[in-house]
Amino acid sequence: MQNPLSNFTSLSQKQLAELDRTCGWSLNALELAEVQREFRKMGRQPSRGELETLAQTWSEHCKHKTFSGPVSFKSGSKVKKYKNLFKETIVKATKTLDRKWCLSVFTDNAGIVEFGKNGKWGLAFKAETHNHPCAVEPYGGAETGVGGVIRDILGVGLGAKPVLNTDNFCFGYLDSKKKLPKNSHSPERIMRGVVEGVRDYGNRIGIPTASGGLYFDDGYLLNPLVYVGCAGLIPTDKIDKKVVPGDLVVSIGGRTGRDGIHGATFSSANIEEDTSASAVQIGHAVNEKKTLDVLMRARDLGLYNAVTDCGAGGFSSAIGELGSETGARIRLEDAQLKDTRIEPWEIWVSESQERMILSVPKAKLKKLEAILNAESCEYCVLGTFPGDGQLLVTHGDEKIVDLPMAFLHGGVPNFEKKAARRKVKIIDGAPLQPAKTYGGILKEMLAHPNVCSRHSVITQYDHEVQGGTVIKPLQGKYGDGPGDAAVIWPQAATLDLNDFAGFAVTHGFNPAAGKIDPYQMALHTVDEAVRNLLCVGAEISRTAILDNFCAASPRDPEVMGDLVLAAEGCHDAAMAYGAPFISGKDSFYNQSKDADGKEYPIPLSLLISATAPVEDIRKAITMNFKEAGNPVYLAGVSRRGLGGSVYGDMMVAGNNYIAPLDMKAAVRMYTALLKAIKTGCVCAAHDVSQGGLAVTLAEMAFSGGFGAEIDLSAAGREKGLSALELLFGESPSRLVLEVVKDREAEFLKHVKGLPVGEIGFVNEEPLLDVNDGGVQLFREDIFALKTCWKRELI
Amino acid sequence: MIIEIWTKEKYARNEEEAFIARLAHAGLKVKTARLSRLYRVDADFTKADFSRIASDLLTDNITEHCSLTPGKAGLKNAYRVEVWLKDSVTDVVGESVKEAVADVAGKPPAAVRFGRAYYVPCASGLKLKQAVSKILVNEVVNKFKIEKC
Amino acid sequence: MKPKAIILRGTATNCDIETFNSFKYVGAEPELVHINQLLSGEKKVLDYSLMAFPGGFSYGDDISAGKIYAVKMSRLSADFGAFIKDKRPVIGICNGFQILVKTGFLPENKGNAQVSTLYTNDCGHFLAKWVKVRINKKSPCIFTKGLPEEIELPIAHGEGKFIVEDKKIMADLTARELHAMTYSENPNGSMLDIAGITNAAGTCFGLMPHPERNFFAWQNPDRPAAAREAAAAGYQFFKNAVDYVG
Repeated sequence: MQNPLSNFTSLSQKQLAELDRTCGWSLNALELAEVQREFRKMGRQPSRGELETLAQTWSEHCKHKTFSGPVSFKSGSKVKKYKNLFKETIVKATKTLDRKWCLSVFTDNAGIVEFGKNGKWGLAFKAETHNHPCAVEPYGGAETGVGGVIRDILGVGLGAKPVLNTDNFCFGYLDSKKKLPKNSHSPERIMRGVVEGVRDYGNRIGIPTASGGLYFDDGYLLNPLVYVGCAGLIPTDKIDKKVVPGDLVVSIGGRTGRDGIHGATFSSANIEEDTSASAVQIGHAVNEKKTLDVLMRARDLGLYNAVTDCGAGGFSSAIGELGSETGARIRLEDAQLKDTRIEPWEIWVSESQERMILSVPKAKLKKLEAILNAESCEYCVLGTFPGDGQLLVTHGDEKIVDLPMAFLHGGVPNFEKKAARRKVKIIDGAPLQPAKTYGGILKEMLAHPNVCSRHSVITQYDHEVQGGTVIKPLQGKYGDGPGDAAVIWPQAATLDLNDFAGFAVTHGFNPAAGKIDPYQMALHTVDEAVRNLLCVGAEISRTAILDNFCAASPRDPEVMGDLVLAAEGCHDAAMAYGAPFISGKDSFYNQSKDADGKEYPIPLSLLISATAPVEDIRKAITMNFKEAGNPVYLAGVSRRGLGGSVYGDMMVAGNNYIAPLDMKAAVRMYTALLKAIKTGCVCAAHDVSQGGLAVTLAEMAFSGGFGAEIDLSAAGREKGLSALELLFGESPSRLVLEVVKDREAEFLKHVKGLPVGEIGFVNEEPLLDVNDGGVQLFREDIFALKTCWKRELI
Repeated sequence: MIIEIWTKEKYARNEEEAFIARLAHAGLKVKTARLSRLYRVDADFTKADFSRIASDLLTDNITEHCSLTPGKAGLKNAYRVEVWLKDSVTDVVGESVKEAVADVAGKPPAAVRFGRAYYVPCASGLKLKQAVSKILVNEVVNKFKIEKC
Repeated sequence: MKPKAIILRGTATNCDIETFNSFKYVGAEPELVHINQLLSGEKKVLDYSLMAFPGGFSYGDDISAGKIYAVKMSRLSADFGAFIKDKRPVIGICNGFQILVKTGFLPENKGNAQVSTLYTNDCGHFLAKWVKVRINKKSPCIFTKGLPEEIELPIAHGEGKFIVEDKKIMADLTARELHAMTYSENPNGSMLDIAGITNAAGTCFGLMPHPERNFFAWQNPDRPAAAREAAAAGYQFFKNAVDYVG
């Protein structure tokens, strides 16, 4: 057979598609035609290495073609056109808000905001997904996901020191009865593998995994979602990087091998049975730790001008990105290899883990080498950044790539995607009255996988390494209460035990609401994240957020419609809360064929990761009840509807309405509450989210070892609200507060005119007694409630 | 040379019970099982070198013992499942053990690979294979074999 | 003059910086030193008056926790032995304790043989949580002097089950009150609930819990408002060491 590359420029569309499949590039017809046109223009045939480089550079993973592409959205008879959906929603909010404390947004590997008082530090934050690899090999997929996002932080600016890892997972229900297709793993196995992968990588590299979430829905049976995030500290004078022509290209960390071929293109294709074995790797945390230690020392000594991580696309992307203006001259024979059975073009695109690329002035190489050797970290000098704008890659005498950088980064064509509003039937009547008692429902709800304790996962992570996790994921009297946000005091980066500046990190996530109303889902998700930050006493006016969208195939107009609505919601919420997006990521094609051969898509899944400064970490508060006799307040108005609630998942609710969120009212109330928290008159705060008010009260009670006498008559509520909706509804912008009893008057001054009502007091007797205007709703022993809640998930 | 490391029986119960429970979860009920760690050390060393590496480096002599002749579990009617990472997958443990072996032996081995063996008395090798595929191995990254001991 | 403390590092010694910060805060002059710097002769342990083996996952804890680090130390055992014999304070925290056990420096014995081990937790995996520990007031341990009978500390380990095979060694250990710290509720299956042990001089101390993570009260998971701004139990361990040499 003739090598199709030798007459590439004259291949038919069908032949191109076939070649694309064989090589696993995942380029579409339009893109293939564009490549063909370019090489016709150059009057020569491409090499394999050049096509691989283009496929990697233009992949969904690297270019985010769907989200940053043109979209036509049809809603009823109206059509709205976007040229670049991402820029016109998410980026637009950030640009309009134009916050001074945003130091770097959307340009680098992570977003950076100001940290601390004296302008010395920046906080870099980034979240990623690693879904497809985790479906295929959960342990290795999770490990390399964590490793990848840590390298994003190491590669932002001139390198930030990671001080926190985050993890959010979505799995199918562990007891799901749905038949799985051949070759797919049970949700139990996926969860176990993913948790062990995050554990083994995060623990070994010494970064606390202290914030995250776990969500179950059968929509994730075949396509689990694994979001991994990392936050790090960077000196503000180390944010700018610039490759200087003449600099050496130095690769440090792991070696290059065949194990990393074809990951970038892999994330664009639906998972098929014959997924190639080499697409999944096992992580090498120890190598990454060496890299981290070297980078931090070399950064502070100013031994390199620029750095970036080797992620999707390997050398080709990392060097291509660093050298996008200067060009690069690379000699692949100088690469450190895992084994010699590897083609030169494979070295160029291999995604072997734990590698970073540095741009090193020749005069500083010796000093850098001394540090590398001292830390037993391997490295190789691959070539130079010449300054001529040309990418020239060779292996001995063989030319692997010879292309202008401009083509690589500018050429990708894009086409308009169709989007349409999904039709969902809303049932807005009074909910059906359940046969069970409210106490019985609460007990069942506390044991629901989306509500119950996460300790069996969290305790496997070293969430306190570096000694700075001052508000922990597990807190309270028994060290097992579910925290709203983690607060990090980065002493391992600042080296200053007298500086009490810290930051809070949390998440919002609500795909159940997204199935009904993607726009409101986005608002609720941002609201939840901001509210969680408020609960620990973080400076919410300085909230910065990350968006991570996971969706099914963008070829389905309804999937695109969900995305458009959620992106608009993101914009509106960011504006209302004054919370700019600083970085984001998206992952599409999260759908597979089920056992019957039918398409099985995930629900639209938007993870909002949020961070805000904590001025004095000593004053941050936890969620558990602290002292008998203290009054308890409910802030926020409870609204009608059980749409998207855990109750709706457990029972036949007869109502799937989602109340719209009044963001202005929420911001006004949160601002007042933060003042109250900062003056010290609030000693515990906990948000009302999954499971509703009853779950919030139960958690505060059993985490503190106190009961409470509650009468909800003073609780702000919408007219016609049923007791069921009051207890288990999940309408947004509500939280429960415990107020220090002799500072109640002061507290009331802060919340004057706001929907904040006293609903009872903390009680020594370990009973949660909840009434509404003289009617007892339930009365349960807090330890019995805790027993229901404290399930071992794995 | 394959070096097999065994946890002494009196310390192995937790590990064995957890494994038996996971087998049960995958639909295979057995009463006993034994587990071991395997290090394949590719090197031109003497038997004495290998013995020293096995006992001084790879074995915790308080809780473990080692063997240079793998496969002796002392269980009747048992199958032996041997699991390794595929050669194409980087063996992280193997790499760091390789360095440590070089420290102890004074010369580096060509390669070290890390694996595990499971000894399970049961009637059907096929059933065991199914259970093992459900909980233990992933053919994307692992290679494994099952044989009657 | 501030006492010089050597904070020993290697690849993936992860708790080195917070241990460094802790020693600095109580008045020592800490220095982070990589084992490679000792092996090359660039640095010498006997130039320091305090020593810490921090927690972490040295060399990935491959083979078993602390083992590879212990192997790397074997060429330097004379120096380390002399340091300990000289009664200069040594603390091994978590992975550091594992290293002290695997080098045979703890429990103390003539030939520095490994006579005990820290084995996989009974639960079979890594476990991070806060536990209550009892301080053995009769122990010669200099690090735990002046602490109350029961304190809280976090643990974070996969291999913390303390095992001594030889009954005589264990009897000797307890008879001389060298078990300086025990768990109030055993989290890992350790024999006699042992969480930390010392040598007879009380100067070489290994423990699984992390005192550097309960250095200040605001690091505690239960944060009663009143007690939030003070030094906590962990502070005392480091202060005691500095006071001892100073």
